[in-house]
Amino acid sequence: MAAHPKPLHVEPANYLQGGGVIGWLTTVDHKRIAVLYGVSALLFLGLGGLEAMAIRIQLWAPGEHFISARAYNELFTMHGTSMLFLAVMPLLLGTFANFMLPLQIGARDVAFPRINALSFWVSLMGAILLHLGWFFGGLPDAGWFGYANLTERMYSPGLPLDFWTLGLIVAGASTILATLNFLVTLITMRAPGMSYMRMPMFCWAIMITSILVLLAFPPLTVGLIFLLMDRFFGTHFYIVSAGATPILWQHLFWLFGHPEVYIIALPAFGVISEVVPTFSRKPLFGYPMMAYSICLIAFLSYGVWGHHMFATGMGPVADAAFAVTSMLIAIPTGIKIFSWIATVWGGSLRMTTSFYFALGMILEFTFGGLSGIMHASAPIDLQQTDSYFVVAHFHYVLFGGAVFAILAGIFYWWPKVTGKMLSERLGKLQFWLTIIGFNGTFFPMHFLGMWGMPRRIYTYGAGLGWTHLNQLETVCAMILGLAFLVMYINMVWSIANGEKAPPDPWDGRSLEWSVASPPPVYNFARIPEVRGRDAWWIVKYGRTGSRGLAAYMSGKPPQPSAADLAPPAEPIHMPAPSIFPLILSIGVLVASLGVIIGEWRIVILGAVTLVVAAIAMGFEYPTFGQESHDPMAAPSSGGTDVRKVGIWSFIGSECLFFASLIATYIIYKGRNIGGPGAEILEIPLTSFSTFALLMSSLAMVLALAAIQRNDRTWMRVWLGTTIGLGLVFLGVEAYEFTHFYHEGLSLQTDLFGQSFFTLVGFHGAHVSIGVLWLATLWFASFGEKFDGSRSLSVELAGLYWHFVDIVWVIIFTLVYLMQQVKGA
Amino acid sequence: MSRRAFSLGAMSILAAFLSGCASNRELPMTTLAPKSDLGQWIYHLFIEVTLWDALILAIVLIAFILAVFIFSTRVGEAAPPKSAASDLKLEIAWTVGPALVILMISVPTVRTVFRSQPRVAPADSLHIRVIAHQWWWEFQYPDSKVITANELHIPVNRPIRLDLVSSDVIHSFWVPQLGGKRDVVPGQINELTFEANVPGMYPGQCAEFCGDSHANMRFRVMVETPEQFAEWTKLQQAVPVAVDQITDASVADGAKVFADSPCTSCHRIDGVSKGYIAPDLTHFGSRTTMAGGIMANTPDNVAKWITDPQALKPGALMPPLGLRGQQLNDLVAYLESLK
Repeated sequence: MAAHPKPLHVEPANYLQGGGVIGWLTTVDHKRIAVLYGVSALLFLGLGGLEAMAIRIQLWAPGEHFISARAYNELFTMHGTSMLFLAVMPLLLGTFANFMLPLQIGARDVAFPRINALSFWVSLMGAILLHLGWFFGGLPDAGWFGYANLTERMYSPGLPLDFWTLGLIVAGASTILATLNFLVTLITMRAPGMSYMRMPMFCWAIMITSILVLLAFPPLTVGLIFLLMDRFFGTHFYIVSAGATPILWQHLFWLFGHPEVYIIALPAFGVISEVVPTFSRKPLFGYPMMAYSICLIAFLSYGVWGHHMFATGMGPVADAAFAVTSMLIAIPTGIKIFSWIATVWGGSLRMTTSFYFALGMILEFTFGGLSGIMHASAPIDLQQTDSYFVVAHFHYVLFGGAVFAILAGIFYWWPKVTGKMLSERLGKLQFWLTIIGFNGTFFPMHFLGMWGMPRRIYTYGAGLGWTHLNQLETVCAMILGLAFLVMYINMVWSIANGEKAPPDPWDGRSLEWSVASPPPVYNFARIPEVRGRDAWWIVKYGRTGSRGLAAYMSGKPPQPSAADLAPPAEPIHMPAPSIFPLILSIGVLVASLGVIIGEWRIVILGAVTLVVAAIAMGFEYPTFGQESHDPMAAPSSGGTDVRKVGIWSFIGSECLFFASLIATYIIYKGRNIGGPGAEILEIPLTSFSTFALLMSSLAMVLALAAIQRNDRTWMRVWLGTTIGLGLVFLGVEAYEFTHFYHEGLSLQTDLFGQSFFTLVGFHGAHVSIGVLWLATLWFASFGEKFDGSRSLSVELAGLYWHFVDIVWVIIFTLVYLMQQVKGA
Repeated sequence: MSRRAFSLGAMSILAAFLSGCASNRELPMTTLAPKSDLGQWIYHLFIEVTLWDALILAIVLIAFILAVFIFSTRVGEAAPPKSAASDLKLEIAWTVGPALVILMISVPTVRTVFRSQPRVAPADSLHIRVIAHQWWWEFQYPDSKVITANELHIPVNRPIRLDLVSSDVIHSFWVPQLGGKRDVVPGQINELTFEANVPGMYPGQCAEFCGDSHANMRFRVMVETPEQFAEWTKLQQAVPVAVDQITDASVADGAKVFADSPCTSCHRIDGVSKGYIAPDLTHFGSRTTMAGGIMANTPDNVAKWITDPQALKPGALMPPLGLRGQQLNDLVAYLESLK
């Protein structure tokens, strides 16, 4: 029918076009993945908001019966869990960082595009797991911080908490994957000239946030694994009658939980640090101090977790120490607030909705920070913690801080992402509704808290003086809901009828505004050369800001030229789509479901799917194991291969995983009651296997040396030796475990048994993965192409192997050699 | 006016404002009208920090208003600004300034932390063991051997030392007017030391989420004069009238209903039953509230409770007993007779 045959390959005009449904399911484009994250996060934002409104209706009057006690507990649990893990974090990291990082540093994608896709699909599976309770016996109802021992099967029978535990483990793993990607991207893929101190402040925030995630999520994972084992395998990590303490969970949780606050706040600070300079038409004030203060906040955030536990009876010394360290965070935070105000000062302001929200954030967040200083003072916290005062505080920080920043970011970057403008008129309406609704809902909560209303109560007594403020809050919460409804309407309207966005609608400063809206698949036709901070600004106005002023004064800021936006002459090699991330994540979901329903065949099915997809992903890429000279990547700014930086970052994260396990072992060894203890360990036998493992590291070094000089035969010999010694180690461990079992020490026997088997068992699992990895390489080495040019694959495996060996040296010392030393 | 006088003046104005909107009668759970030494220490610290916060907020607000509304132009109004990207003196100022404020706050904070958590209880203090259950409170007086539930009686102007233990999950003991909360953690004994200085009735509530009926885990503290407290203690130590000596027919029938019912396996009544996992009922009639302090102790409420505990307190462990009519009335009469 068609008169003209279609050309076979049409270069799509932008990243949103082409591919169909399959294209979206197999995409590895950071921009598409960001959109996927965004859609799912906006969905959960709406759901979390509806949950909050149901909560508010229930609190309308004393003894209200809108929902049952159980339903109320489910709703506040899911409100907190969804808002943090499925809405706010995915919007800031999954959407904003994913979309903007490569564009801001002049790269064509992230370091590991398929792992990026994997992290989205896995996070979606986590979200599904968390919500499956809708259909199977109820939602989780133990609060977002799920304090043990309420979460034990004894007090929370049934499936809901199983879904919660596994859902969070899966969601946490996906976050680690995502941020590992960001960190490596920022280290290795900055465009020429983009030094660290020239990066946009948002990139700084994401870089430090990524480090926070990598170091903070492992303690949470360990805490959740303990809970999982308690619920499924009969261990007693949080069971008091066995001598354990539920406070262990609180330490592990808040060791994650406080950095988590900054995992959310720092990207929000980053967004504000982009929006404020743009609409003030001034560079960010005090850039170096802004960068250093981010680092300082991140550093301090690891030393303050105890301020969530002042009421648990840690004793005056710990209380005083945590109080002072917590207060210190006010200093770098103050620097940020004053620097934003100084950026506005003397500016030429453009009062857009985005800027409104950014200015709103500065004030609301300051307010939340100030009530935070009160909780940092331990005695005051004893009156305020677990009261509505705290609910007020963290909503001022998380809503007034993070969500206001997200809204500023949505209005700021929407034109870049969709190519359409949002309605400013609806935006301003949304802003004022938000200001009224937000402050009307959360400001009175300070007073309810001071008047003694505890949080998480589904009903309250009459005659306590709480009713009027609760009713005011409920009304204002509805207004807040309306504000978000306006936003969703604005989004739909914009996509359908919105004005088309120019490449640079805001007179922006960073490189994302130098490309088309929406950007082409390859981001940059030519990798830009960066000449200073605010790279795109310098291109437009010159270093002194004098060029292009006439255009600016006429109200039309300079746009990228047609020549800049023209597609490149030669095709750009972009990473190929892959279905394996989706398959792998389905494997994760299936295995998790199998665990929950206790059907081991389903677990195995899921695990096999997962492993096969992972191996397929490993070999799918034609450059397997080669040093990177991939044309897709920007010239590497770090000089180190992305995969090497990646494995180092992963190892950093693993350190915290093992540190949490080792700390638990040391604490619980001393609390052991009854049952065998550390005296059961046999040092001579384990010394032998330790020696074997240490020798395997030597063999690993020799194998790498062999392949680097292109000697495949000796590489195979030494790799084989490494594998053999690893197997010897595993064999001795298997013998040891069986022997202990016959001596009466099992996972369930006592605190020593469970923490010993968990720690040594997880190490053994790491050794097994290492053996599998090396064996895969050994077989691959018979392939044609496996020569010196692919030595990187051996090097990466070697790094992992050495790390596992070093961990064993620490475990051997602490567990075996120091067995007589009494625990904490 | 000296700085100290100024801050004292400001503190008393703020205190007057806060307690003005927080009169004891209308807000029985307010933290702003403390009736114990612990509560007052915390309250003074709170006022002090609030003043520093107010100062910081004022500075930020003024700077913000000046920046947005005075010392800036709107786009297109004038030539774009000359950009000052940093100013060392300013940056030092807003680093050192907050650091000084933190120093001012942390000194009284640390002092109060140590003052409020004495390692050893004061010499003449009254020891009470608080046992938190899902979802009610048990109070044991080791000296007088008194056991009661949901209503803690203490004498005024005498140091109180609470040993807090939990029989199941984590709870938190909180009487806002008498000072800060302390978590009740299974497997460890937490302590709370305070001295109430105004007699009265102060409601309290569990403050750590502890399951379905967390909201229904309330209690009362009766701060009494030493004489009242001694009298109350005597009443609680009294052995109830033996069942065969009860004169009122309905009460006597009720006693039989109780003795023959499953009630006995969980509830203790001195001389009648030995259950211990549920509240001790030996002097049930002397309490003003029941069922974790969620309702007044009236015959009507007791009957409703016995008929369907879960309707009043979701998740409650007590099963409905299926008692009706006269049996129910007799049982209620018996329970209420246990003064």
